[in-house]
Formats: sequence, C-alpha cells, structure tokens
Amino acid sequence: MSADPTPSVSAEGAAQAPLLHALDVNKHYGGVKALTEASLEVGHGEVHGLIGENGSGKSTLLKILSGQTLPDEANVTLDGKPLPLGNPVRCLDAGIATVTQETTLVPELSVAENIVLGRRAIRRWWGVDRRASRQRAVEVLDRLDLRLNPRTPVKRLRPDERQMVEIARAISMDARVLILDEPTSSLTDEEVDSLFGVVTNLKAHGISTIFVSHRLKEVFHITDSLTVLRDGRTIAKEATADLDVDKLIALMVGRHMEQKTGGAPPAKLGKTRLSVSKLTVPGMIEDVSFEVASGEIVGFAGLIGAGRSELLQAIFGLHASAEGTIELDGANVWNRNPHQAMNNGFALVPADRKEEGLILPMSIRENLMIARTADSFRLRRPPLRREAEELDQVVGSLRVAGAKGRGGAPIASLSGGNQQKIVLAKWLAVDPKVILLDEPTRGVDVGAKDEIYEILDRLREGGPAILVSSSETPELLRLCDRIFVMFRGRIVTALAKDDASESAIAHYATGNN
Amino acid sequence: MVKQDDNGSAGDGRTRQLASNSLRTLTDASFLGVFLMLVVMFLYFTFTQSSFLTSGNITSLLTGVSILFVVSIGMTFAMLSGGIDLSVGSVLALSGILLGKLVVGGMPIGLAIFLTLVGGAVLGGLINGFFVGIVGLSFLVVTLGTNILFRGVVNLWSNSKTTQVISPFLETLAFENLLGVPISVWIMIGVFVVAFYVLRNTYFGRDVYAVGGNADAARLSGINVGRTILFVYAITGMLSALGGILQVARVGAASPLVGETIVFDATAAVLIGGTSFKGGSGGVVGTAVGVLFLGVLQNGLAVSGVQSFWQQVVTGAILVIAVLIETLRGREQVSIGRFRLRRPARARGG
Repeated sequence: MSADPTPSVSAEGAAQAPLLHALDVNKHYGGVKALTEASLEVGHGEVHGLIGENGSGKSTLLKILSGQTLPDEANVTLDGKPLPLGNPVRCLDAGIATVTQETTLVPELSVAENIVLGRRAIRRWWGVDRRASRQRAVEVLDRLDLRLNPRTPVKRLRPDERQMVEIARAISMDARVLILDEPTSSLTDEEVDSLFGVVTNLKAHGISTIFVSHRLKEVFHITDSLTVLRDGRTIAKEATADLDVDKLIALMVGRHMEQKTGGAPPAKLGKTRLSVSKLTVPGMIEDVSFEVASGEIVGFAGLIGAGRSELLQAIFGLHASAEGTIELDGANVWNRNPHQAMNNGFALVPADRKEEGLILPMSIRENLMIARTADSFRLRRPPLRREAEELDQVVGSLRVAGAKGRGGAPIASLSGGNQQKIVLAKWLAVDPKVILLDEPTRGVDVGAKDEIYEILDRLREGGPAILVSSSETPELLRLCDRIFVMFRGRIVTALAKDDASESAIAHYATGNN
Repeated sequence: MVKQDDNGSAGDGRTRQLASNSLRTLTDASFLGVFLMLVVMFLYFTFTQSSFLTSGNITSLLTGVSILFVVSIGMTFAMLSGGIDLSVGSVLALSGILLGKLVVGGMPIGLAIFLTLVGGAVLGGLINGFFVGIVGLSFLVVTLGTNILFRGVVNLWSNSKTTQVISPFLETLAFENLLGVPISVWIMIGVFVVAFYVLRNTYFGRDVYAVGGNADAARLSGINVGRTILFVYAITGMLSALGGILQVARVGAASPLVGETIVFDATAAVLIGGTSFKGGSGGVVGTAVGVLFLGVLQNGLAVSGVQSFWQQVVTGAILVIAVLIETLRGREQVSIGRFRLRRPARARGG
C-alpha cells in the first residue's frame, strides 16, 4: 500500500453527532475529479438516500466508505472514530457493510451457513461447529424478523430473499451502517415491499441504512433524509419530507436542465423504415412497439435494467425467446442470429467494446473488415491492398487518429474513441438499413464523443433507421429526433425533440407517470 | 466506400502496411525467446558432440519428430480457436487401425490413405467439432470423452493386437528420400506451408483467430462461429490421422498402443511455440519452433549420453516458463505470491 495522507481525526463527539460523518472527500482518477469536497451525514437509525445521476460520484463515495478505494483526501468518522480508509476488511469490522445487486452468497450452502460464512467464532479444530453456527444464524434471522428456513440452500431462494440473507450476514457482523446499492433493480413490487419491511425493522434496531436507488418513488417511500450528488459535489442535504419529485430532479440534473438539444439539424425524415410491434422478451421486455423513419435517430432512455440494451439485442436476434413482429421497409423480417441480422441489413454496435465489439488480439484492418467479409468464400485470400485502401479511406473520413497506413497494427494500440470509430466503421462498411447503437460513446473522451455524434448526424443522409440506447441523457438530447423512455421493460413515453429535457426523461425513467 | 485514393502518402502507408503484415509473424513473435534457446542449444550440441551435426543424425532427428509435427500443427488450429483437442492420440491410433484394415483388406493404398484422412476429419469435425461448435459443449469435456471413446473403439476393433501392414508405398513414405531429403520431412514441410497459408491468407484463417480472440465479438460481427469450430476440429482430426498414417508407415504395423502420450507433447510444443492457451494469438511458425525445440533437446541429450529423463525435466520447466512469460505479459498487475512487481492500474469509476 502506498503512503497516502491518513485522515485527520475530528474531535467533535458531541451527543447529537451523526453516526457516519464524511467531510471533504476528494478523489480523482487520472485527470478526472470524481469527487470534490463531497460530504455525507447519516444519523443513528436513519434511512438515508444517496441520489445522483450516472457519473455523479455515488459509486466512488460508496467505494471509499466501504474501504475499496482510497480517497485523495477525506475526513470520515463513524461514531466519532476515524474510519480505516482503504481497507475493506477493517471498514467492515468498523461496522460498514455493503449489499449490492450481485449477491456474494454461495448458492450450494444453506441460509445459516451463508450468514456465518468465514466467521472465526464458529470454527473448531475439527471444522465448523454446525450447531453454533445455526444458532447464531437463527438469532439474527429472529432479530430481523425474517421468515427464512436456516437450512434451505440459498440457490432455492428468490432474489429478494437472497438479499435478505446478505443483510442478515451484515447484521450478524454487527454492522452499524448498511449500504444498499440499487437493491430493488431486480426485484418485483412485492419483493420490494418485503425488502422495505426489513429496512424499517433495521431502523428500529438503531442500524442506519444508506439507500441508493434511481427509482425516486422508492426513495420517497423509504428514506428519512437525502444527500444529492452532482458532478462529484454534494449539492443538497434535505429531509425527504421537505422535497418532492420535481424538486429532487431539479437538484439532480442541475445546470444541465435548461441546456436543451444540441446542434443536430432538423432531419428530413423519409418513409417508415423500421417498424417493431409487440416485441416481448420474457423477463426483460414487455410488449414494445414503435416505428422509426428513414434517416431518423431515435433514442432509448431508461435506468440500467430498464430493457434498453435487451431491446436492441432482441432486434438483432440475440434473444431466442423474443416474440413479436419486425418490419423493414414494409416487409416482415425476423433475425434469429447476428449473421442473419446482418444479411437483413441490421448492424449492432454493442455496449461493451472490449468484450463484444472488438477482437483485441487482431489488427485494425482485420477488425474493420470482419463484418463486411463475413459472407465471402472462406478459402479466398483477403485482398490486402484493397483492404489497406479502404482502411485509409475510412480512417480519413471518420478521422481515426493513429490508424492511417497502420492496418496491421493491433487494434489495442488505438485510443478508446478511435477504437469505437473502428467498431462503427466495421458496420458502416456493410451499408446497413438499421443501425443499433448501445452506449455509443461509453469510455470515449469528450472530443471523440463529438466526432461520433457528427458521424451519426452525417449518416442520416444515407437513410438508415438509427436507434441509440444510452444512459447519458445529454447524449440522447444531442442526437435524437425522438426519445423513448423505458421503465421495467416497457416504453412508458415517447418524447419529441422539443419536449424532451433531462428532467422530463428523469421523471419518466424513475417510474413516475 | 470505394473511392480511389489520390495522394502519394497513402502509397507509402500501403507499402508499410503490407510490409508490417508479412513481418507480423516475426515481430509479435512470442516464440522468439524459445527460438533463441533452440539456436543456442543447437550450437551447444554441435560443438560439444561431434556426432550431433551429421546428416545421418539430423535426418533421424527430423524424421523422428515428423509425427509429432503434423499432430502439433493440427493442435495449433484447435488452440488458436480457443480450445484444445485431447483426442488427437486416439484419433491417431484409430486411423492407423483403419488404414491397416483397409490395406490388409486389399484396397489400393492411395484410396486407403485418402479414406483414412477423411475418417480423421470426420471423427474430428462431425464428433468433436459438432459437439463443441454447434451444440456448444465444453471442448475439454467433449475431447476428453472422445479420447477415451475412440481408444475403446481402437482396442475393440483391433482385438488389442498389432497387425502387420505390408505396403511398398508406405515403406517408401517412411524411409526413402526425395532430392536428398526424407519424404516424411517433405510431408512436414507441405503440411506447414498449407497450414501457414490457410491461417494467414484466407478468411477462414482470420475466422480461427477471431473466434479464439473473442468469440462473442466474432459472432456479433456475423462470423459463423460454430461452423468455424467444426472445421477447426476436422483439421485437427485429419492431421492426427496423417500422424497415424506416418506411424503405420514407420513401424510397418498398425498398433492399438500408439499415440497414448502424444497429446501432452503436442500441447507442450504448441504452448512453447507461443500460441496462447486462451486462443487468438500465435501460429504454426511458433509450433514448428516448439516441435524442433523438443526434437533437438531429445536428440542432443541422447547423443550426449544423458539420461532421457532430463529431457522431461527441461521440457516441463520450459513449458511452465513459456506460459508464465505469456501470462505476465498479458497482465496489468504482476504479482507472484505476495510480491507485487508493478502497481495495478486502477480502474476508473463514476
């Protein structure tokens, strides 16, 4: 571990001091400031909401509190004592426990075994003291009023029940502050209710909860007070009762709010190119219907898990259980796999460039040509000279820095933004009629972002239907003629360019109608 | 998209690019270290053992590795695609038995050899390749299973007995020279050249690297991943069958006991030659170096009168070191046990 400044001890310790008190938290990654003098106060037995848009610094702050990330500078005390920052084990010992969406339970072990997993107290020289461990687990389950059979293997539990086991595990380790990071995103309504029952119960035992959720309805339902983060700063600390949805969205969105659409020229839209009706993927997308005109860019907004990515994937033939109808230029098409989708004129730029977009060990040229040549006779010799020409052409028109004349260089030698341009160019080479883009500028620097937007603007002229899914609302406002907002697998509203704003999108995306 | 480029600098770039393409096999050569060791070892044996660098010894060295060579080239395809074929030894033995039955049954030798090669391709492609590529089962489980299964068929079919196979043509194949070079060495060279060409100069070769490099991205780019894997295992099977044919030719008999350990040597040769265990990088040049490394080591130690077990010790050590180097190169954070050699690059958060 490198020697970073140790947090100075705050010598307050007054009777009414908050249980968890974080002050002046600064953290940067490279040249980017993730947190600037952020602060957070959580009182005894309080349910405290931590609210902010994507990239506002929430997850960084949570990582600092749980010891996973060392801040540049911070003053964090728990019950008056400084928190051992940068050490996840000691933060846990000090009483801060985190429960995330991905459970860290062992599916084959029972509820009781999972609750006491890894605890020294129940180890005996011959192994694990089963009776003692079950007893401890039952104590905790009783205390939280959880009706779970301690002998049931965790793999047979519902998602909410698994989360409760995680909470029970945290409590059994004497957690004083429980961080619930997006706990409801994979739960049904009833499951959310039962989870909230547990949270209320914790409150009665004097255990504080930090509740992180994008679903504002739930935030208003369960929290006592709120901290709003924006661009790495603490913007507001309020009692929940003093706020309403619109005020809260205004706080979250802040200065962006009135910043409306960007420089995209009003599109000359053609005839309906793509028509999707009653598209359903069980458990992911419910009855989605929409139309996209030739030359139109439509956006899909929504929280993570709202079904945006799955919608694009389903259109591209990646979900075997998808049902519905898709019409392209009035003719029925149905993509059963990516190869067929490509031949039908569809292209997908996936969200995860490194995992799904590129073949990292291969060269720039090979990555560029892969889709275009997917139907060539396989024993043919790739025409290297023509490929080199084509690469130089693409590189020139898309301004891919560092790729001219270097087709044989590994794709990994390009920067993120230029890699993304190659992924885009790979599909433009097949001249698609429908372009599906999932997070088109994720991990791309600001300059390259604008260039990608301009490329998409120019693409309209060729008349494809362009569908963009993004978690960055300003991006959608910049690009799209219309924005569909999704919530839990459904399109809840369609906003025309002039009606769309960050606050309107945030309003619908968080489950308000 | 196709517009004629009109400035001169593009021409330069093109030449550079073509040059870099042909140089690529050499420059990103992960086998360079092993190649240097091969050269050093070769020189060492040349200067210390007068009987090492003689035409007779080099001929026996090369003919001695010919079976391992063709099987390793086949294994290279499987490993480049991100898999492995554990059944090469059993396919080799089964092909030998098949060839023996056909020849003893009176079939013309040319047709018998052809059918044996087809048989190997069918065993590899339609069984291993089908289950791995089309059905999507684990390559380890499938080829481990078929290795046992094929070996069982070998023993049943041959009654666990070695059959003599008399064929002048096979004898020529094993023991005659062409232009002063043993025919089995010509076969090695031929297999190498074709494999190199297919991997570097065809769309299929690109598919193999793409599937091994990132199967998801390849599928999303419209590549038929299942079909590619099927053909890869067919090639591995066919080259194992070629190994079986060479084996029968050399011994003059079809034995059910052959090829039981060749899978280890072939895998070692491919890995020593720098092909990634994860697939997607490496190639047959490295494999050729790997096989020659094993061959020179074994031959040199034998000529020096050193116990042959030392060969195992050195091979094993080199293998682990080669894989260690590859792993360390691919890692951002290098830690061996508790010792961290370089600080991790922290991931960006938001």
